[in-house]
Formats: sequence, structure tokens, C-alpha cells
Amino acid sequence: MASKNGDIPRIGVYVCHCGTNIGGQVNVPEVVAFARTLPNVVVAREYKYMCSDPGQMLIKEDIQKLNINRVVVASCSPHLHEHTFRKATLEGGRNPFLFHMANIREHVSWVTQDPEKATEKAKAIVEAAVYRIQFHEPLESKHVPVHPDVLIVGGGIAGITAALTLADAGKTVYLIERESSIGGHMAKFDKTFPTLDCASCILTPKMTTVKDHPNIHLMTYAEVLEVDGYVGNFRVKVKKKPRYVIEDRCIGCYVCIEHCVYKTPKHPSEFDEGIGLRKPIYIPFPQAVPLVAVIDPETCIEFKSGRCPKKCQKACREIVGRDAIDFTQKEEILEIQVGAVIIATGFQIFDPSRIPEYGYGRYPNVYTSLEVERLVNASGPTGGAIVLRDGRKPQSVAIIHCVGSRDRNYNPWCSRVCCMYSLKLAHLVRERTGAEVYNCYIDMRTPGKGYEEFYEKLLHEGVHFIRGKVAEVTDWTINPEEAGKLVIRVEDSLIGVVRRIPVDMVILSVGLEPRSDAEELRRLFHISCSAEGWFLERHPKLAPVSTYTDGVYIAGACQGPKDIPDAVAQAGAAAGEVLSLVDRGVIELEPNIAVIDARRCSGCHVCIALCPFSAIAFHAEENVARINEALCKGCGVCVGACPSRAISQQLFKDEQILAEIEGLLMVD
Amino acid sequence: MIPIPRTIKYESDLDHAFREKIMATQGCENIWSCIQCGLCSAACPISIYMDYTPRKIIAMTREGFREEVLSSRTLWLCASCYACEAYCPQNVNITEIMYALKRHAIEEKKYPRNFPIPELAKSFFTYVKAHGRNAEFWVVFRVWRKVALLRLVKMFPLGWRLLIRRRLPLRRERIRHTRQLKTILSNLNGEV
Ligand SMILES: Cc1cc2nc3c(=O)[nH]c(=O)nc-3n(C[C@H](O)[C@H](O)[C@H](O)COP(=O)(O)OP(=O)(O)OC[C@H]3O[C@@H](n4cnc5c(N)ncnc54)[C@H](O)[C@@H]3O)c2cc1C
Ligand code: SF4
Ligand code: SF4
Ligand code: SF4
Ligand code: SF4
Ligand code: SF4
Repeated sequence: MASKNGDIPRIGVYVCHCGTNIGGQVNVPEVVAFARTLPNVVVAREYKYMCSDPGQMLIKEDIQKLNINRVVVASCSPHLHEHTFRKATLEGGRNPFLFHMANIREHVSWVTQDPEKATEKAKAIVEAAVYRIQFHEPLESKHVPVHPDVLIVGGGIAGITAALTLADAGKTVYLIERESSIGGHMAKFDKTFPTLDCASCILTPKMTTVKDHPNIHLMTYAEVLEVDGYVGNFRVKVKKKPRYVIEDRCIGCYVCIEHCVYKTPKHPSEFDEGIGLRKPIYIPFPQAVPLVAVIDPETCIEFKSGRCPKKCQKACREIVGRDAIDFTQKEEILEIQVGAVIIATGFQIFDPSRIPEYGYGRYPNVYTSLEVERLVNASGPTGGAIVLRDGRKPQSVAIIHCVGSRDRNYNPWCSRVCCMYSLKLAHLVRERTGAEVYNCYIDMRTPGKGYEEFYEKLLHEGVHFIRGKVAEVTDWTINPEEAGKLVIRVEDSLIGVVRRIPVDMVILSVGLEPRSDAEELRRLFHISCSAEGWFLERHPKLAPVSTYTDGVYIAGACQGPKDIPDAVAQAGAAAGEVLSLVDRGVIELEPNIAVIDARRCSGCHVCIALCPFSAIAFHAEENVARINEALCKGCGVCVGACPSRAISQQLFKDEQILAEIEGLLMVD
Repeated sequence: MIPIPRTIKYESDLDHAFREKIMATQGCENIWSCIQCGLCSAACPISIYMDYTPRKIIAMTREGFREEVLSSRTLWLCASCYACEAYCPQNVNITEIMYALKRHAIEEKKYPRNFPIPELAKSFFTYVKAHGRNAEFWVVFRVWRKVALLRLVKMFPLGWRLLIRRRLPLRRERIRHTRQLKTILSNLNGEV
């Protein structure tokens, strides 16, 4: 049988034992003996580990000595070693696409119980590969250049770290942040576990470096609208929301805010989690980057009635001489081109009003942990004083762990950081108020460098640790000791009794969950989410910051709950991956693309609308459709749809697939 | 010298087949999922009187503490209010498990002696089976006669006051076809 391109196929078949992974289930010598009987098979061998150097040598030697021109390796999944064996084929002197992999591990030995049946199935799969490979042709991989600029979405600690790493390496970085300042959650904290170093002391310098770095284009109050293109060549549309203050003119002097017609702040501050108040014109926090005022049109009188004396504008113009306030500012759409993307959009906290038993929103002195972070923050609404809503200092505080986490009724996962931040808050509460603190936990999870030591430190500080999940927080009191307090009911499970504990303040250690708009972002960038909604990494161990979309990486808490050290480590890893891609300068594309036979194309346009990657364009002069090789992902949609059968897909041509099926059916 | 009982458990003291038996009951399969958080105990309105909290019952059942579990008062105190189940983060069907355990306790005659609640259940059932109707006085009388005669004497003044106000009828009412009722009940128990 001669192949299409004229040569007589001389096939080498190599069956791998994969240790006992395959050999333990499949009778490998029998498969090899069978392979020798197949048409055009010149040599068939077995080896313990085909992917090892000596295994690959077998292929190279047979190509050279026996003049093998087609290679079939029966082993594991192509995901793992297709690349290895294509390379071996190339090094032996043949086109790498004259190789085909038969998967007899994932498809056979790992999923078949009976060794006899497993052996039969392995033979069928090998036969299919041998039939198919006769129709393989030499192909050339395409190379496309990589745009050197990088887009980072999300300016929390993860996005900031990745941006600085890349910018320091000389790359141009576009950092897009949705809020009016970068910093993310970390900017809200006073101290960070386990070392209790001051969050703003370590974060603020990084934030200002981002602002001043010549290689970073910072866009705050901005969001990604559209993403087009593919690895190495993304075109991204960004929407900049109007802040009604011209960024380049504002010097962050606060004069406008002082002169606002609202003499005192009246509106809950988003940054302070509603614990503090702000005016319609505000700067979210003193260390904000960029340090630029924002006007909230929802609360600004000028936007609501058009009849405000606009004292802020006057003050900025006349007192500061900057004239930075512009009530007519419109949203802007910008287009940028980048070669790679890092998504670092972080998390949102669980909304505890979903658990009515805990009384959040009903009892004023039930707080979320994030609200308390603002309370303890020296630049927060109370200047760092831990006080109740009525200004009293609490004498007893309960911290409830696992709120919304480890609970199938809400989120089943462990949020990983809340045990540690609960310990941190327990320490801060004791340090600043001397109150009795009760930490009610299910399991104390402190895995991390210096974390268990931190727990130990808290034990010495006299915090009560009660092992049990709190059932309810109530103001229904039953004795004078409880009067005027909130009572928590919990089983002290180490002792085995139920306890009622009256406290002044309850802190809910809310869990971390995916942002509510994660799904939209996922669609924009064509990446996947886990069932819970976290962005999915390509491999949980070996490719933790890559996604299934080439050129798009993830870092920080958008991939799953994690603390600052882990978020920073991931950001570094993502920056490393981007550098490796961008500095390579070119990418090789798999040649499994579709091609249109212009002689057969009737110009019907059917394929054009169907292509999910917009890879097909119509050429009116010749009245034919043509596929852009760089854009085609080889999905095959057009191939099946073309009514003129003008489209074929390399590596998946009709005759290849039919031969494969025929081979499969030959074994009875 | 008063002997001090040993509290250590050897594997031979435990019945590891016990959990399989309980899990075989419909609705009790997910006993494995329990993470011992204690929410059930804290949510339970009766746990304050229980000898073992619901969480402990789950743990002990899983580890084969058959004797302790079956003779526990907890099973009899459970009010079947389902509060534990409604809150359990692992969706363990605690109330169903309580029922299954109670059934085993009856079958194996392991329920706590001199404890009024199992006696009440028994007395109620026997009485209703015989007469087709409940008669509070006789049911209660039987329970206390069995578990605490002295209590019965102490309760006399209360009983007397109820009696003269005609709040505690002594008359035994019965339905007409008690034989048919008996047949129905024994059919239910598979005793035909
Ligand atoms: C109460 C509390 C206390 C904590 N204390 C500590 C501690 O002491 N030590 C510690 O190590 N960890 C702590 N953590 C964990 C810490 O918050 C996280 O590890 C860290 O914030 C993760 O950083 P990130 O950059 O991944 O996400 P984030 O901090 O959430 O930042 C994400 C950023 O992306 C932006 N963004 C989101 N969506 C978009 C979008 N579509 N477009 C543009 N921008 C977007 C957000 O506005 C935000 O600025 C605590 C967490 C909580 C809840
Ligand atoms: S007065 Fe002008 S310059 Fe000063 S903070 Fe306000 S807008 Fe900015
Ligand atoms: S880290 Fe601790 S508090 Fe947070 S979900 Fe896990 S066990 Fe619960
Ligand atoms: S194979 Fe898929 S990606 Fe390629 S041109 Fe056809 S439809 Fe588009
Ligand atoms: S509430 Fe559920 S998970 Fe928690 S101890 Fe009870 S049965 Fe176990
Ligand atoms: S069903 Fe029983 S164990 Fe559960 S809460 Fe109610 S009384 Fe307690």
C-alpha cells in the first residue's frame, strides 16, 4: 500500500509498559506480536519506559537503520508525551507529524479490569493507529510573533506584584483596576498575619512604585469590555469610567472635599465597608493610588438635581488653582494590544446575611471580619479604636469561624485564610481593648510558615478557644448576666457540653468566594471555571497559573482562596510564565488547522458565521472563503458544516479518520 | 475498696459492624460526612439534658460504641424537631439516625431502665393497642408505677386537684372494633 504522497509506508510500532501502569494490565508482548502482523509494519518493539532516553533512542535508531518513515507509540495520553515522541521522530530525521500516539493507558489499562479484554482493546487501538498513520503527511508548524506588551486585570496585591516584576524586566504593562484605587483587599487591613507587620507600610510603597513606573500604564476605574485575538496577539477594549475629576490635574489635596456642600460626610463609604462615611466627592483612603478625588453621581446633588452651587469645583479652581473637576466627563473606550494577559481579580467575601441565625444586619453589634479590619485600621473611621456602634468599648467578643465556608448549604470549601485572620483579630482585640475573646472554630487550620507559632502565641494571650460551630447569635437573654448582650450558643465539643456565652460584639469570619462577575470575565477571556466558580488552572500541581487558553494566566485569590504570601508567589510565577512567552518572541502553532480547497468552495458563507474564533474571511474577488492560519484553533466546526466538502482539517482528514475506524473494527 | 472502672476502650469492646447496620437504614447513609462541628448539638433545644450530645451520638455510632449509644437517654429525649438537620453543614440526617438508633435500642432491649420516656412510649402503645384510645390517667399511672413509685405518691396532690376539677378522667374509653385495630397494628409490624 503506497501512501498518498507516494512513499511506501515503513511503520515502526513501540509499545510501552509504563512500568506496571500498562504492563500490569495489558499483555504487552502479545500486542507487539500482533503489531508485527499488521500491514507495512517493519518493526514492533516493547520497552519499559518509552519516554526515557533509551526508549526514544529506539525510535531514532530504527529510523536511521531500518529506514522507518512512520512512527506509532502505544503508551499514555498525547497530553503527556506527544511532544516528546514528535521530537524523537524529528531528531531521527523524519517530519514530526509522521508520528501518531495510541493511548493504551488512560483509555485501556487504567479503565479496564479484565487483562484479557484490556489486551484486546490495546490491539484494536494499535491497529487503528497503524491504519491511520499510512495517511499522515509531513506538515509544517506555523510560527507567529508575540506582542511584547502585557495586560494585567486587577490591581490587588497579586496584580501589583506581577506588574512590578514585568515592568522591572522592561516589559510594558497595562494594569486595569475596577475601583478608583489599586490595593485590593490588602489595602483595607491594618496588620497582616502571621508577622503582624503593618499592611500599608508594606503595600503603599509598592502602590506608589506602580504609579511612578515608566513601564506601567495604570488605568483605574476601568474595566475590560472586549477581548479579541489569540496568544501573542490580543486586542483588548477597555472602558474607563468617568470619575468627574481630571486625573492629570488633581493633586489629591482634599480641598474640594472640605468645600462640598455636605458639611459632614453622610454616605456609607464603600472602602470602609459602610462603617465609615464619605461625601459625594471623596478619596477612598489616604494612601489611595492614584491619589485623585472621585465624584459619585448617585449621591452628588449636581448629578441628581443640577442645582448644586458646585462649591467643590469652585474651590478647586479658585483656591487650589487646578480646575480639575469636570462634571461633563464621559466614559472613554481605549484599545490596547498585548501578547499575554494575567488575570488577578481576587475574591469577594461571603455575605453573612444569608445565614439568618447569625443576625448580621439585624443586631448592630454583629460585624463581618472585613468591617473589623476597618475598625482596627489606624486610618479607618475610628482611627483604630475597636468600639461598638454606640461608641462603647466591648468587654467580651466572640469570633465565629467558618461563616459561609465548609458548609454545604452555602460554600463547601475551606476558605483557608479565615482561621489565621481570626487569630489576628483576636490578638488585636485583646491588645486594644483587653476584652475576653472567644474564638469558636471547627478545626484550627494554621498550615504555613510561622502560622502554628502564631496560634501558640494566641494561646498564651489567654484567648478562649472553643471547638464548635456556633448555632445562633441571639438577643434573647435568660439571666441577668446576659442582659443587654448578644448570646452565642455553641457546643464546646472538646468538653461535650452546650454553652451560652454572652458577649458585646460578634465578629463573623466570613469566607472567600469567587467574585459575582467571575463568569463574565471567564467568557471574555475564554478561560474555564471550576464548579465553585474559581478560575481553573491548567494543572493543579504542575501548571497552577496557566489556563487552558494559551497566553492567559491567573494569579492570586481569583484562582482559589489564598493568603498574601501565596498570592504574591503566584503573581511571581505568572510573571515568569509571561516572560518566558514574551521573550521567546514567537509561538509555534499546532498545524491541525482547517484548509479550504478553493476549487471546491462555492462561496456560500456557511462556515464564516460558524467559526467560534472568527478565523474565516470572505474574499470577494475570488468568491471563496479563506482561513486565517494564525486564528484557526482546529476545532473542526467548519469542516463538518461545509456543504461543498471543501474544508479539510490537517491531522483529522476524512481518510485518516476513516482508516482509524477501519483499524478499530478489524479486531473482533 | 471500691473498684474504679476502666474507661479505656479496646477494639474488642467496639462493634464495628454497628455503623454499617445503621447506615443500611434508608436516610442514614451519610453518617460518614459528619465533620464533628457540633452545630447539631448547639442547635438542639433538648441537648442541654442529653447524656451524649447529638454530635457525640454520631461519633460514637461511627466508631462502634454500640452499648453506650443504644442505652443513651439522648435517643429518647430527641423531640424530632429537625433543628439539627436543618442546620447541619454536611446535611447529615441526624433525626433519621436518632430514629434508627431508637429502633435498634427497642429491638435489642437496650433502652435505659427506669427512664420514663421509653416506658411512656411502651405504655401508650400497649394501651392504645388494647383500647383504641388514649386515657391519660392510666397511661401516666402505669409509667410512674414502673419507674418511680415514690414519685407517684408525691404526685398525688396534683392528681387529686386535677381529678376534682374533672381534668383527669378515670373512665377508660374504647373504640368498638378493637380486634380490627390489633390486626392492623400487627400487620404494620409484619407479625401477621
Ligand atoms: C478579613 C480578611 C483578612 C485577611 N487578612 C490577611 C492577612 O492578615 N494576611 C494575609 O496574608 N492574608 C489575609 N487575607 C487574605 C488576603 O486578603 C488575600 O490573600 C489577598 O487580598 C489576595 O489578593 P488578590 O490580589 O488576589 O485579590 P484582591 O485583594 O481581591 O484584589 C483584586 C483586585 O482586582 C480588582 N478587580 C476585581 N475584578 C475586576 C475586574 N473585572 N476588572 C478590573 N479589576 C478588577 C479588585 O477591585 C481588586 O482591587 C485576609 C482576607 C480577609 C477577607
Ligand atoms: S481640590 Fe482639585 S486637586 Fe484637590 S483633591 Fe479636589 S479635585 Fe483634586
Ligand atoms: S480557614 Fe478556618 S475558619 Fe476559614 S473556612 Fe477553613 S477552617 Fe473555617
Ligand atoms: S476549524 Fe474551527 S477554528 Fe478553524 S476555521 Fe474551522 S471553525 Fe474556525
Ligand atoms: S451538625 Fe452535622 S456535621 Fe456537625 S457534628 Fe452534627 S452531624 Fe456532624
Ligand atoms: S431532632 Fe432531636 S436531636 Fe435533632 S435538634 Fe431536634 S431534638 Fe435535637
